[in-house]
Amino acid sequence: MRTMLLCAALIAAPAFAAPRVGAPAPAFTATSASGETVSLSDYRGKTVVLEWTNKGCPYVQKHYKSGNMQALQKDAAANGIVWLTVNSSSAGKQGYVDGAAAKAEMAENDTTQAAYLLDHDGKIGRAYGASATPHLYVIDGKGVLRYMGAIDDKPTAKLEDVKGATNYVSGALNAVAAGKAPSPAATRAYGCSVKYGG
Amino acid sequence: MRVLRPLLAALLALIAFPVAAQIVSNPHARVELQAGPQTGDSRTAVILVTPEEGWHTYWKNPGAAGVESTAEWTLPSGGSAGGIVYPTPSRFVVSRIMNYVFEQPAALLVNITGLPETGAQPVEVTFDYLVCDDSICVPENAQFSVDLNDVAIGERQLAEYRSALPATPDWPASFSVDQDQIRFAVEVPRAEDVTDAYFFPAVDGAIDYNAPQAATRDGARLIVETTAGFNPDLAEIPGVLKLTYGQESVGSEIILTPGDVPAAGIPLAAEDKPAGAPTSGATPVLLAFGLALLGGLFLNVMPCVFPILSLKALSLAKGGASPKAAREEATFYSAGVVLTVLLLGGALLALRAGGASIGWAFQLQDPRVVTFLLLLVTAIALNLAGLFELPSLSFSGDGRAAAGGRSGAFWTGALAAVVATPCTGPFMGAALGAALIMTAPAAMMIFLGLGLGLALPFLLIGFVPALRDRLPRPGPWMERMRRLLSLPMFATALALAWVLGQQSGVDGLIIGLSGAVLIGLALWWLGNARRTPAPMGAVLASLAVILLVPADRTEAVTETASGRLLASSPYSPERLAELRAEQTPAFLYFTADWCITCKVNEKGALSEASVHKAFDDAGIVTLMGDWTRADPVITEFLTQYGRAGVPLYVYFAPGEDAQILPQLLSADMLTALAKDDGGAA
Repeated sequence: MRTMLLCAALIAAPAFAAPRVGAPAPAFTATSASGETVSLSDYRGKTVVLEWTNKGCPYVQKHYKSGNMQALQKDAAANGIVWLTVNSSSAGKQGYVDGAAAKAEMAENDTTQAAYLLDHDGKIGRAYGASATPHLYVIDGKGVLRYMGAIDDKPTAKLEDVKGATNYVSGALNAVAAGKAPSPAATRAYGCSVKYGG
Repeated sequence: MRVLRPLLAALLALIAFPVAAQIVSNPHARVELQAGPQTGDSRTAVILVTPEEGWHTYWKNPGAAGVESTAEWTLPSGGSAGGIVYPTPSRFVVSRIMNYVFEQPAALLVNITGLPETGAQPVEVTFDYLVCDDSICVPENAQFSVDLNDVAIGERQLAEYRSALPATPDWPASFSVDQDQIRFAVEVPRAEDVTDAYFFPAVDGAIDYNAPQAATRDGARLIVETTAGFNPDLAEIPGVLKLTYGQESVGSEIILTPGDVPAAGIPLAAEDKPAGAPTSGATPVLLAFGLALLGGLFLNVMPCVFPILSLKALSLAKGGASPKAAREEATFYSAGVVLTVLLLGGALLALRAGGASIGWAFQLQDPRVVTFLLLLVTAIALNLAGLFELPSLSFSGDGRAAAGGRSGAFWTGALAAVVATPCTGPFMGAALGAALIMTAPAAMMIFLGLGLGLALPFLLIGFVPALRDRLPRPGPWMERMRRLLSLPMFATALALAWVLGQQSGVDGLIIGLSGAVLIGLALWWLGNARRTPAPMGAVLASLAVILLVPADRTEAVTETASGRLLASSPYSPERLAELRAEQTPAFLYFTADWCITCKVNEKGALSEASVHKAFDDAGIVTLMGDWTRADPVITEFLTQYGRAGVPLYVYFAPGEDAQILPQLLSADMLTALAKDDGGAA
């Protein structure tokens, strides 16, 4: 029995392997809050940011209540960067939204992302190994993953910690714009676990 | 009075404790500040966190999600607080996301120094922590402002808290990273009793938290394998290794440093050992030794060894050999066999200790070795067929050679052992599988058993005159017999040629076969002329041919040649996991072109129409793992099932444990399997 468990455990691994920085980012197609079909490949040639969200998570709230996330999104849009917010909360779990609720959430937070993607079955989240909210990924114009991990270096839920924190995402975006490798290129995302189904 | 005293003590305890603590009760956790006894200017502060039932707080490395707890201290001037020292954490997996947590009350210890040695010790502390259940997370906060003297606890209480901290045993521990995989080895006490092992890395990026850790044992070492994190190129990886011995768990701080990690070992001990089951000690070694002896014995009748043995035996029967000469001959032959087997076994163990994923007959995974064997076997076959005579390597039983050829006997033994390696007889799989998971001396015992088994028949003939007497009288028939025995030898050469073709493609095969033709010619010419440099010339010619064979194996066509063999797709752990998840019954077979037993099964039971039909009807999916060339993924699977080599046949009924099938399959056995499954579904 032990052996079996061991074996099953071993075999389950690749199903939820994190992608690697420097390797092509996993392709995906999803439905946005406004009902459009969005694919990663639509944005070839542009830098893409993926942001995992869950409005019920205090660590997400930290960055929206402080205006930090909105500022990053606005900055990205101004620089021709595509910002995609992804919600992988499954039905009945914290942070779950349908299209209408997602739109309400966007209005409430006054956000400016290119699209808010509904990933109810968690397929995109699993493909990227998104484990926490917020969890951020930066993909360059060639579709290569350049950064994955935390939004900044202050793993707290305190609004006042936004100021003075080193923002890894804007750092990564600047590096990609300059044709350099972000440093750090991978960090541990802090926050609530992504509320996947099952 | 006697009854009253403990009661009184208990009452006192009840009264004393609530006073000596300050408690903050938050919605999802209760936090309590305490302080241990003072020594000099330092004392240990304790933050005791008790989460609500079903909730958890986090370790210093929280895993794939979560957040570390923080404490900010305001101390009397001159005071300073160290970092939080955490107890050994537990794992908490929610939706396949790994969290390192405390679900039970956890005493976090903070060492405070520079405190006034007398008088008040006013401190303020802000403790921030995250508390989650399986669906939501809430950051909570506790603030204390107390005199540490007012929250003092006794030495005994502090010692109890300390007992939950990981030990610091200084165990040798190393890690190595190979592409996506990180493996590490740790020498631990009572390794054979460990039922579970898990490594909590203290630094981030070393491992992929969500990937499972597969723990196996190699002697006194535990080997853990998992997916590497985003930054495995660390100079060292500190962390806590949590070992479970049945019901009891202990954490130990270890530091992994880069180094060699042996290949995966055997599965850990089962949690509930069946009563009286041998787990360690002499019994399994003796059992495996016995199996190895039996396996070696059976090897004697395999097509690759039988001709050599039988002719050697008959040579003794020939009148010329005195009892003393017979004994000598047998002894040297046996020494040749045993030493060669030990040499091969030792090489195998050394390579595995270096981390190579190989098994028995590993040498056959190299086309150069196969070429060497091909040439050797061809030469033997030609010799048996009477193409040439060599005085030093004689199987003909020439009386003089038998009497004077100590080295001849020795090398014949060595030859028999080398030629025997492609043949795996019954009993050998289990014995050699066991050898790989034992300590090196025990493993060598098993190889010794194999060698002795192989040498045993000849040894008996040499030492028991009665047996010799029972051998048929020598006569001209022996020469005919010898010619006849060249046939199985030629068959062995043919099999090796086929293996070579599979490994190196047509070019490699042609080089090998040309070599065989050339060596035949050379031996005939040199042997016929009775020129002395014959062996030398043959060796040189072989070397030249071996060097010509492409060492980098060109991708050979691995089509399943016979369309009648059970249809299968290649084995991968992912595919198996998929099938298991879908509740699809799966039949796995692991084979190699140089594995004769495998080929017998494939031509036999696995090609039976009745089996195909039964499998189709039951919806059984077949996966095939080809081990002709070294494949670590397959080696890992074999090792998990306690095998050192192929064949291995495993059946997975939906939702059931693996069922390991015998090494020799029958069609009835396989159809029964399919029918059982059909009944259950």
